[in-house]
Amino acid sequence: MKPRGGYNVPLGGRPGPEVEVLPDPDALHVPLAGRRLKFTDVRVRDGQAVRPGQVLAVDPERYDVPLLAPRAGRVTVTNKALVLRDLSQEQEEPYKGEQFDHAARAEAAGAAGAARRKLVDLGAWQFLRDAFSGQLPDPAGFPRAVVVTTMSYEPFSARGDVQVAKRLASFTRGLEHIQGLLEHQPIYLAVPAAKSELAEQVRRTVRGYAYVKVVTIPRRYPLDHPALIARRLGLRSRGGSIWSLGVAGVLAVDRAMTASLPSTVRIVAVGGPGVSRPTHVKVCAGWPIREILDACGAAGNVRVLMGGALTGEAWSPEDQPGLCGECTSLTVLRDEAPRKLFGWARPGWSRQSFSPHYVSRLRPSFTERLGTALGGERRACVSCQLCERACPAGIWPHLIHKHLLRGNVERAAALRLDLCVECGLCSYVCPSKIELLDQFRAGRKAIAGMAAEQDGQTREHARKEARQ
Amino acid sequence: MSLLLGLMGRIGPKFNRGNLRALRPAFDAIDSFLFCAGHRTDRAPHVRDPNNVKRYTLAVVAALLPIIAAAVYFFGWRIVAMIGVTYVTGLAIELGFAMFRKEALGEGLLVTSLLYPLILPPQLPFWMTAAGIAFGVVVGKELFGGTGRNFLNPALAGRCFLQIGLHADWSSLLFGTASASGVSGGCAGEVCSVLIILAGVFLVLAGVVNWRTILSLLGSFAILAGVAAWASPEAFGRPGWTPPAVAAWHLQAGGLLFGAVFLAADPATSPVSNLGKWIYGVTIGASTFLIRYLSGCVEGVMFAILLGNVAAPLCDKIATHVHLRKLRYEG
Repeated sequence: MKPRGGYNVPLGGRPGPEVEVLPDPDALHVPLAGRRLKFTDVRVRDGQAVRPGQVLAVDPERYDVPLLAPRAGRVTVTNKALVLRDLSQEQEEPYKGEQFDHAARAEAAGAAGAARRKLVDLGAWQFLRDAFSGQLPDPAGFPRAVVVTTMSYEPFSARGDVQVAKRLASFTRGLEHIQGLLEHQPIYLAVPAAKSELAEQVRRTVRGYAYVKVVTIPRRYPLDHPALIARRLGLRSRGGSIWSLGVAGVLAVDRAMTASLPSTVRIVAVGGPGVSRPTHVKVCAGWPIREILDACGAAGNVRVLMGGALTGEAWSPEDQPGLCGECTSLTVLRDEAPRKLFGWARPGWSRQSFSPHYVSRLRPSFTERLGTALGGERRACVSCQLCERACPAGIWPHLIHKHLLRGNVERAAALRLDLCVECGLCSYVCPSKIELLDQFRAGRKAIAGMAAEQDGQTREHARKEARQ
Repeated sequence: MSLLLGLMGRIGPKFNRGNLRALRPAFDAIDSFLFCAGHRTDRAPHVRDPNNVKRYTLAVVAALLPIIAAAVYFFGWRIVAMIGVTYVTGLAIELGFAMFRKEALGEGLLVTSLLYPLILPPQLPFWMTAAGIAFGVVVGKELFGGTGRNFLNPALAGRCFLQIGLHADWSSLLFGTASASGVSGGCAGEVCSVLIILAGVFLVLAGVVNWRTILSLLGSFAILAGVAAWASPEAFGRPGWTPPAVAAWHLQAGGLLFGAVFLAADPATSPVSNLGKWIYGVTIGASTFLIRYLSGCVEGVMFAILLGNVAAPLCDKIATHVHLRKLRYEG
């Protein structure tokens, strides 16, 4: 598949390459549920003192992936979060995984199995996801390939170059450890199509690794999505999982395998037009989001997104005061929709658009202080095909939308809604302001439900036949 | 500006209840026409492109303005009066539907009401103009749900109604005008081919119309006309003209150019896929050729485009099949 579609949203406030270390907070509010993981099995008591790296809770439905204590402190258990107070100021020795019996596991699952379990126990496995489904891969299974992405094009995710800049040796060692988990499967290292010193250094370093194949990806959101990279490589979702992970994941693997240390530190990008000092910060799960925002100069009427501008969800201080461990960025937008007289009919010298209706097309690209304005009124689809042009997955969002609008999920599935990577570009460019991303998420869920039901029926049928 | 904005903000809530509630669509239409509705996003993606349907239709309106100016130059201010009649009638009907459905007033009428008078003979009586647009808006658009959900071009549906339903004396009205250099006989908007070509280039560059429809329509027609003139110069050619010259004359004659650029390429009533647009364009081009050459009709573009509109879902079906075959080994 050739790279197609995609668009770089001209959002201002891109975080710089520096990483700031913030002063320690008074308390950490570690959420028990993230986008993928739900830590329902809490393993600590109210008031218990914990050490860094100690298991606070696990996700029993996803291979017992643990939620590790980011710092030493005393736990208060609430419905939605574990609150760590009385945080120890001294750097206490973290758990090195001695809470798990690796020897017994090695005996049960072999050396590779034990190594994978170690990754799960030390919080590195959470960085892996299946390239197509986005779900956590099974630690017991083997992938068909591994896709390592070193870039993130969504405005604004934590940039790979920022994370790898000072830790290139750890990164390459992490790749070696990943290779050690595999049999003979290739590792595809996706690098941006850009001439930078760092990119060249990465290429030079991995040149000697026969199992690492470098893939160059054009610099356009969301062509860095693992599913699109996998499709480009001719890989399919059927016939086995394809693991994907980013730079943070590789570094976490190295930390776990080389030093047996848990991965609790996160580098989070804080950017967008709503902050005065866009930057990267070094924090951990549960860090009070308000403190991060204050440190970066977010003031006034702003909307904070957990995640990038296109796929992030709005943050509500009451629901989730602390940072989720899966969150890699905070995007801050100005929560405003200015109304200008005949705003829709102005030439648009300072407005950029995916469509060529604005005279800013005559200017070189520039960034904008985009807010949360919808930019128009909701209308019926006029079949302008802008979504089709923007779609990186090569599907026809306008046609799928029309079928989903009529409740025809089967037809939407036949039109390959499964290929959608939920990048949100179709919703972004739609002049009729149709919530395509929302509709497609619901549609994909319905299709998955139908498939599970069908699978269950088939299994039931097979069981009945076997009984006869 | 802030005074006006403040005034709109103050009187806006009055339309939420009581007797004025029924007029909410009218107020919203004026409010968003002046200031664009200040809605904000409520779900991902939280930032959006500034482009909207008003902006989209504005490009077509801008492309039509020089053609209207030319029509006024050739036929006088009566054209402006016809546009006025069309707007008033169309707006009244659309507003009625919007109030009945409690929905917002669409932007489609902005374009339809400019296109429709331009495909009428300039001498058409006003009552006929009003009757045509009423039919076009009601049957061609609103009964199917409004702009974007219509399958027939409302302007063409209105004109078709006049020609067939009211038996308007089309030929005498159409050819009552003299041709001049760069100017051909026909309806109000069809006379200045150069401006239509420029408008077409503008619309393609502005991304409003798809070049595939225009190219396939005009290309297929030109090839058929050229082949016909070459195969049977007595029947289909012109004395002393080469086949390409005959094809070129046919291209700029009548409503073909105007129809290709403004009516056939309307995204809502043409197929939604690129391959579908190729098939659709060839269908209209070939139908125009057949109607112009082999039927008793003077001008076949309108019927050909309406036929194309009806065939659009079929074109899409073929294109979807091809598209899905390409994707079958992916993902």
